[in-house]
Amino acid sequence: MLSNKNFVKNIYQKNNYIFTIEWIDGKISDYRLSDLQRLCSCARCVDEITGERLVNPSQVPDDLTAVRVYSMGRYALKIDFSSGCSRGVYPYEWLRQWSS
Amino acid sequence: MGNWLDQKESASPLKKVRYIIAVAAGKGGVGKSTLSVNLALSLKKKGYSVGLLDADIYGPSLAKMLPAETEIRNCPRDPSLLMPFESKGIKAMSISYLRPASDPMSVRAPIVNNLILQFLFQVEWGELDYLIIDMPPGTGDIQLTIMQKVDISGALIVTTPQSVALADVRKAVQMFNQMNVPILGVVENMSHFVEPISKIVYYPLGKGGGEKLSTEFGMPFLGEIPLDGQISAASDLGHSLFESSFFSPAVQSYEKISGHLLDHLYALERSEKEALKDFELIWELNRHAIK
Repeated sequence: MLSNKNFVKNIYQKNNYIFTIEWIDGKISDYRLSDLQRLCSCARCVDEITGERLVNPSQVPDDLTAVRVYSMGRYALKIDFSSGCSRGVYPYEWLRQWSS
Repeated sequence: MGNWLDQKESASPLKKVRYIIAVAAGKGGVGKSTLSVNLALSLKKKGYSVGLLDADIYGPSLAKMLPAETEIRNCPRDPSLLMPFESKGIKAMSISYLRPASDPMSVRAPIVNNLILQFLFQVEWGELDYLIIDMPPGTGDIQLTIMQKVDISGALIVTTPQSVALADVRKAVQMFNQMNVPILGVVENMSHFVEPISKIVYYPLGKGGGEKLSTEFGMPFLGEIPLDGQISAASDLGHSLFESSFFSPAVQSYEKISGHLLDHLYALERSEKEALKDFELIWELNRHAIK
């Protein structure tokens, strides 16, 4: 309970489209901005009742960039994308599972 | 008021607070506020600077237990900030200082969220060792707002021994787990009653519920607080238990609990010292900045 691997040790920009998280246990994961926006789980991108995705993933360009990536509380990060939906909250636990 | 919910409060008055501790339970009436006040007084007595934020907007109780010794005033340095109220050496903020006790706060959740954000970020808390947030009961909107906006060092879970309380407290534990807020430990309130003449110990609400909960979730058990008339009398009169009944079992139990709490807090800090808690990566095209 007192220790948790879902903590960011370092975060940096890898190139124009990808950022890297170095987790506290040493694991390193890359995240492509366009992938994350396609998986946005906010209420406008996913129907709350049916779970159906309301935004067509092909509308998100592969070369999507960002304005900033920032922490939210102790459990998640948020991304201000340069275009499209920036409402999604990306929990660390989810980010870790998704990258493995 | 502006765009509160989307702001990153990087220059906030909370930056000078070393540890933020949430006192929570899934259920109302288990004694969160009483524990928060006595924990604050106990930490103050150990020589720390302490603040107490009453996040219960609908049922605030701080003005009664910790009567304000100061008037409402703005921060001389920055008039956009409010000074916290002071009582017994503790900096405190609660809606109960600002409204008559008989006026109900019948307002919608967005208003409450804004109030909480003002209490957090528009109050000049100054340099504090500990800020205790007395959380409202339940696992709803206000709790989420606080945990999304504040880097809480850890949460203290309060329960009473009976199983109906434990069921709700489990939900609070799950909420903190989901939000990655570490649980510093469990306190069992109203644990037992010592009959003053015979010294026989009674367990009117059942026995061992808090310990069972801490075992179930692998959380430290910080201690028990007895049912003791001195605690409620001190709360009702706005007195400090630590001044009036120094050697009472209640005072000793609070002292023990605050000591254990600090041990766990420091251990946690050591285990997480490499974690980046609050970051902002500014994206720069073709520069690949490392921050």
